[in-house]
Amino acid sequence: MLASSVQRSKPTPYPSKARSALIRRTVVVVLVLVALTLVTISFRSPTAGALHDVQGAGSTALRPFQIAATRVAQPFRDAYDYVDGLASAKAENKRLKLQNEELRRDTLIAAAKLAKYPDLEKLLHFEQGPTFPNDYRAVNVGVTSYPGGPFQHTLTISAGSSSGIRRNSPVVSGGGLVGIVSNVFPDTAIVMLLTDSQSFVAARDLRNGVRGIVQLGAGGTLALSQVPKQFSVKEGDEIVTDGTHSARYPDLYPYGIPIGRVSSVGVTDTAIFLQVQVQPLANLGSVDAVAVLVPTKQRR
Amino acid sequence: MTLLDGVKAAVLLFVAAVAQVSIFSQLHVFGAVPDLLLVSLVALALLRGSVAGAVGGFFAGLVVDTANLGTLGLTSLVLTLAGYWIGRYGETTGRDRAHAPFLSVAVVTVLYELGLLVVHFVLGESAPAGAVVRSLVPAIVLNLILTAPLYALARRLLRVVDRDALTAEVQLLG
Repeated sequence: MLASSVQRSKPTPYPSKARSALIRRTVVVVLVLVALTLVTISFRSPTAGALHDVQGAGSTALRPFQIAATRVAQPFRDAYDYVDGLASAKAENKRLKLQNEELRRDTLIAAAKLAKYPDLEKLLHFEQGPTFPNDYRAVNVGVTSYPGGPFQHTLTISAGSSSGIRRNSPVVSGGGLVGIVSNVFPDTAIVMLLTDSQSFVAARDLRNGVRGIVQLGAGGTLALSQVPKQFSVKEGDEIVTDGTHSARYPDLYPYGIPIGRVSSVGVTDTAIFLQVQVQPLANLGSVDAVAVLVPTKQRR
Repeated sequence: MTLLDGVKAAVLLFVAAVAQVSIFSQLHVFGAVPDLLLVSLVALALLRGSVAGAVGGFFAGLVVDTANLGTLGLTSLVLTLAGYWIGRYGETTGRDRAHAPFLSVAVVTVLYELGLLVVHFVLGESAPAGAVVRSLVPAIVLNLILTAPLYALARRLLRVVDRDALTAEVQLLG
């Protein structure tokens, strides 16, 4: 029984389901072919032809539905736009506030820079003018700290030995002589002002060549001392540095740097020198930028 | 599928196509556009099978191409294939699975966008692949958001039919 061959029945072909599958595949193939045909025709003649006309007519027929849909959606779109506009307005408001703060800050910075401009212009004018001393080059630096009180007569500048600044280098501003470098660090330096009690500058009256020493006078003002009574010094005379007269004893300051103007001249019977007060041309209390005059030739 | 079902499906797809062209095509969210028509087609194909999906996709594509005055048949081609494929998935693997609509929408969104990209590229039209790829994830998310309400609406419109009648080629042996 087991060895005998068993006649198996033929598999049922499921005729209805097979037909269904055939129909399904036929439908999709036909649809794809029709779509491809439409694409081809439409692509080859996009602006003319029967299909184009049919499409135009169909579009016209669809237009009312589109308009209706748009009108139905309009309130929702308006609401969305309103909410979106609010959100955008808030974001824009925040952005504009930030921008406003930045602009204010920039304005302040610009105003601060503008305030320094006249000094810088004068300084540049001095450096490019005929009175700029030969054999010197200017190292332009900013002032980082100012005299802190009546007992401090120094400035701190933002450059030092790494920029070529050396001790005893004269320091000028756009107005005139400021002082001399008294101490040097790699990236900073201390400037002793003319008003320091240790400052002595050989000077001369530009009008008549009378020589003297500009130093701290009575009452904290500058004075041109050591001027004999027989010389004539007048109020308004310009005082400049006297410079070197003997190569053996070179002066720390080159000739011709403006120091100040004579503000008053006094004479007493008992004194042997004139009492000449000098108003410095440089605003020693609020100078923003200075130039350090560095000799281009090595001094002995 | 009865005649009434056919009419309901046609109305559903027509309204979805018109709304897509008139309203949804203007909603750009993170560079993507929610595709009401595609989600409606997925719902129809899952509920009514591959033939209904293919025919519905062809019909809806024609409406879109006609309304947009674009290359006629282009959207039809892609939607026909999408409707057929989803219909087959619904007839076989995806039957009675709760996640089927969401999975179908996510997958078909990618295939539909890439399919359109390929067709446009083949035709020599503008095919910004980078923009399409970048908008894929937002498009999937937007379409998934639409899936639950639209599928529920489609189920309400088109009563559920006997699934076995749809599974033409899946036969259990034994």
